[in-house]
Amino acid sequence: MKHVLSLAVIALAVTLSAPAQARPVSYPGGWTLMQMNDVDNNSLHVHYSPTAKYSVGARYEYHREPNAHITSIQMNNLIKRWNAPASQANLYLKSGVGVAYDSGDTEPVAFTGVATDWENRRFFTSYENRLFYAGDIHKFIKHQARIGVAPYIGEYGDTHTWLMLQADYDAGQDDTFSLTPLVRVFKGPNLIEAGYNLDKGLLFNYVHRF
Amino acid sequence: MKSLLTILAIFALIPATASANHADGGTLQKDVAVEVNGLVCDFCARALEKVFGKRDEVHGIHVDLSAGEVAIDLNDNQNMSDEEITALITDAGYNVVKINRPEIVSE
Repeated sequence: MKHVLSLAVIALAVTLSAPAQARPVSYPGGWTLMQMNDVDNNSLHVHYSPTAKYSVGARYEYHREPNAHITSIQMNNLIKRWNAPASQANLYLKSGVGVAYDSGDTEPVAFTGVATDWENRRFFTSYENRLFYAGDIHKFIKHQARIGVAPYIGEYGDTHTWLMLQADYDAGQDDTFSLTPLVRVFKGPNLIEAGYNLDKGLLFNYVHRF
Repeated sequence: MKSLLTILAIFALIPATASANHADGGTLQKDVAVEVNGLVCDFCARALEKVFGKRDEVHGIHVDLSAGEVAIDLNDNQNMSDEEITALITDAGYNVVKINRPEIVSE
């Protein structure tokens, strides 16, 4: 019965749901703060976009398993944008280098990944991956995809709402595949995402664009 | 069942304001109207507002996401060329389709 209810909720989320745009590159001269939380990780990423083509910033992340703290410098590049009259698609490259700490051990860190999205004002879909290497402390390849639907179409300045379903695949974890229904609400410079994974628990993200 | 209730509670957080409220009404001074590709979200509109807001010639802009149009209100005795407008919008990450220069448009 529990699984039936879970599937029903997921189906509801897919039917109703919506997109997201936590874009890693802002407008020229724009600052962005991105704070992400789920059962596995917490992260804080602050970046500055000199142009609409790339951003540079500082990143801190905490990985609960293992108990690792990572500080890094990250660069995000907009490789390609496709603008259409009623839709937009993007391809990004996100890479960084830094240092990982775990119980007195220190290792250099390098990571990279591609992110792509397509959206119009009603539907959204995205995919991104991340190859992460921190020597003996931590290493993984993660994949994440989202689909979403806007239950209503808002105009500029309105409160915008998206219902989304996020799928995560991590070859390095016991739970290799998981689904998280979530709600994204944004108004003005603030964006909030809240979701609940049936296996892993809560997800909460916050983005502010200056 | 507890998990289901939690998820339903999250969905219940969706604002009841499913019908958006529009503060923009009345007469809009529209010196330049630009048709733009890629305007699909509030963030796109905010980006253009920030970019044009740095220009002394610009009094304000209004972005119509449904029409894919940016209306630019210039200050008195100020002007911007089509090339300048196109460069600003392109540099912000969007594509200009057409630039129109109506006199005054009443909405």
